[in-house]
Amino acid sequence: MVAAKSELGTHEWEAVFQQAAKIGTLHVHLSGGEPLAREDLTQLVSFAHGCGLYTNLITSGIGLSQQRWDELVAAGLDHIQLSFQDSREAGANWIAGTRAHAVKLGIAAMIRRSKLAFTVNLVVHRQNLDHLDEMIALAESLQPERLEIAHVQYYGWAAKNVEALLPSRTQVLESMETISAAQKRLLGKIRIDAVVPDYYAKYPKACMGGWGRRQMLIDPKGTALPCHAAAVIPGLNFENVRNQSLEWIWRESASFQKFRGEDWMPEPCRSCDRRTQDFGGCRCQALMITGDATATDPVCSLAPSHALIEEQLALANSMANPETQATEQPDFWTYRPQPK
Amino acid sequence: MALENLSRPKLAAGCRWTGDGENRVVVFPEGAIRLQGTALAVLERCDGTRTFDEIVQELVTVYNASDSAKIRQDAITFLERLQQKRLVDF
Repeated sequence: MVAAKSELGTHEWEAVFQQAAKIGTLHVHLSGGEPLAREDLTQLVSFAHGCGLYTNLITSGIGLSQQRWDELVAAGLDHIQLSFQDSREAGANWIAGTRAHAVKLGIAAMIRRSKLAFTVNLVVHRQNLDHLDEMIALAESLQPERLEIAHVQYYGWAAKNVEALLPSRTQVLESMETISAAQKRLLGKIRIDAVVPDYYAKYPKACMGGWGRRQMLIDPKGTALPCHAAAVIPGLNFENVRNQSLEWIWRESASFQKFRGEDWMPEPCRSCDRRTQDFGGCRCQALMITGDATATDPVCSLAPSHALIEEQLALANSMANPETQATEQPDFWTYRPQPK
Repeated sequence: MALENLSRPKLAAGCRWTGDGENRVVVFPEGAIRLQGTALAVLERCDGTRTFDEIVQELVTVYNASDSAKIRQDAITFLERLQQKRLVDF
């Protein structure tokens, strides 16, 4: 967590948006943490919109009053994505650690009364996949244009909870059938986007669309990163928008150049036909699991270190399928501590 | 959903044009597409006021086309696909 006073100020964010538009950026995602925590959010949306950027708000919705929502709509917000942890109140609150669920349903209804693009994001994993159909039904009842079914990825705090989160193979296969059936049923009404979790896929994901190819992340203090997790990679010096132009950071900085092209790739990636599709997978995941940020992403079936993933999968598939756990299990999850 | 002659296709919620000239693209949640040729000509005309019939007639004129049935069918296929992706409503 970051102390508020070291965060970029309103005008500094506006300068970022102006530069982003100038170098051809199309979308800006206002995310966090929780973007609603910024009092100037409406002003930032308005400014970004004025620069011609497509504005996306990625939020839990907590704290979004009707008035604030009306202001965001009037400011030109294009799209809002609201995330849900579960369909069941107890499950959702257990995972999030708060009483968020009931509040969110009211906020979703408020959002739907407006004409913006509305995405419901369902976060799925071992503890809720058994009732995925119920979660999809909940999402459907909120009438979004889009539903994103997102398997948890094992970075940050999820990495500390991987055994509780990684689904069994049966869960994954059943979820693929459930999703496929829902896609057919809702064709033309709700667009459902879902991908097989990479631990169970044959080849890795093209993480972020490739390092420094499609997306840039600016954190609250102005640090420019290729992705959320990149700070785990040692030996990289990340630039700050207070010190360098966005264009220079994107085009020239060593951190953004680091894994572009193919020169950094080891075998088998270097000779692999898929290298221009998946770029060898995720650098952060390679670092976290193998200790080497240049290694082939171990989720790839061709990766020398793939056995490390297979071990994790063997564990996930040997444990009994979880039933909904009682909420009185204080040590079940490892939570990020509250900031002081 | 089937596109009909009197449908008035338009961009769906949260979908809009941005940029100009050859940088003109349609932006939408989690994406953007750059269209060319007849695809561009069709989608540009989906303003919610023209009927599909009118759009096809315009294209036949603009492209001086002899086979209006083919233009119609291609446009149907194209727009129904975009509707399924929730980029277009009709």
